[in-house]
Amino acid sequence: MGFKEMSRRDFLKASGAMAAATAMGGPADLFASGPRMARFPEKTDLILMTSRPPQLETPMHFFKELLTPNDALFVRWHLANIPTYVDMKEWRLKIGGNIDKELQLSMDDLKGFEKISYTAVIQCSGNSRGLFEPRVAGGQWGHGAMGNVTWTGVRLRDIMKKAGIKAGSVDIAFNGLDSAPFPKVPDLVKSLPVDKALEEDIMVAFEMNGKPLTMLNGFPARLIVPGWYATYWVKSLSDITVLTKTFEEFWMKPAYRIPDNDCGCVAPGAAPNKTVPINRMTTRSFVIDPSDGEALVKGKDVKIMGIAFSGMHSIRDVIVSVDGGKTWGETKLGGDKGKYSWVQWFYPWRPTRSGNYTIMCKATNAIGESQPFEKLWNPSGYLLNNVEKVSVTVR
Amino acid sequence: MTAGLAFSAAPDGVKSIDLPDIKTELAAGAEKDKAEKFCSLCHSLDYITMQPKFSKAQWTGTVNKMIKTFGGPISDDDAKAIIDYLAGAYGTGK
Repeated sequence: MGFKEMSRRDFLKASGAMAAATAMGGPADLFASGPRMARFPEKTDLILMTSRPPQLETPMHFFKELLTPNDALFVRWHLANIPTYVDMKEWRLKIGGNIDKELQLSMDDLKGFEKISYTAVIQCSGNSRGLFEPRVAGGQWGHGAMGNVTWTGVRLRDIMKKAGIKAGSVDIAFNGLDSAPFPKVPDLVKSLPVDKALEEDIMVAFEMNGKPLTMLNGFPARLIVPGWYATYWVKSLSDITVLTKTFEEFWMKPAYRIPDNDCGCVAPGAAPNKTVPINRMTTRSFVIDPSDGEALVKGKDVKIMGIAFSGMHSIRDVIVSVDGGKTWGETKLGGDKGKYSWVQWFYPWRPTRSGNYTIMCKATNAIGESQPFEKLWNPSGYLLNNVEKVSVTVR
Repeated sequence: MTAGLAFSAAPDGVKSIDLPDIKTELAAGAEKDKAEKFCSLCHSLDYITMQPKFSKAQWTGTVNKMIKTFGGPISDDDAKAIIDYLAGAYGTGK
């Protein structure tokens, strides 16, 4: 159990986010000035990571709610030319490639398929990358590149059944309306193996929490691959192409790959011998309330609250420590919203002595997977799922 | 802070948004102008300012990736100038 002081936590404000650089650049006075905030269309004030293309992080306090409000859900685009104008009279979802019948589905056509709905965690592959040790290049997210949303749409399987997948198909590629600023920049196209794409829960979604998708979260339709990282959840979905060989363009290879071993990790600074495309989410849990750095009152009851989730499996239990990991107690889990949703956990605590306390939480999923105490490393800053700590003062 | 601007959806079936124009200033340094000019071709400059301090070797790797992988139209001389600038203004000094 060797956990180190995280000096970088000094930069984490109550918002829980890794503070972005000030307007003048450089991390020198992050703590003093706080993160840059911005309000983009259909969004509330979010932490500004980058403006072009937009990357906006959710302040941690929104995670007190079971479902993340649409205007607070994080935003992450890869390429500067993002869709800002969609004419639904013209928009079509095009299905092509190694199939019997090419399709061009309007939104009305799409809604003709059987509707499905479930709650699923959406998490960026690089969520928490700003907390990697040692640091790596890329989007320097705190923990806010995630959210819990009820998605509504139709089964990809039903669409593909209508198109008729021919024998010899290997991968299915997904392309959205976003495009590269220059021809040489690789377009964002992701793929799934055919068997994965045809699983019953893979969704083409057109609603988030009962409302049409916001433009910045992929209007009018996006792919949902529940339990897997959101790199596959292609926004503004426009083209689905069935392929007869493995798709290996840039954003599948070399981008978005993890070391091919049990932990998805290597020694800091090392290069992996073999990689695979990133896939299922690791098991994670967070203390949401109280927030890091909060002051509590001696003798006053506190209802410690947090969240936990795992890729493709329910959470079995979450244990909590208020003494920096010396002793642990069982939390009470909130209502079950299905294996793809996060679950809330609660732990009543009455601090009886003044002082500084470190609260930690550790989740275990239904098949026994849990969280390491140490931070595991890979070159791209993916999969982080160490046991988290929150420091509070009792007065 | 920029207010979220109006969007329209239905009755004419068009949804559109206007993105705010947010600028990020780079730290002072020789050839800062070159970094601004070339890096801005594809993305905002906060991609640079949000990174932790990197060594010169790390910044070299990043700039080379921008050219080789992402097709950045940057000459060898300009690349060298940009690397020197980044290693100075956003570097560990190593």
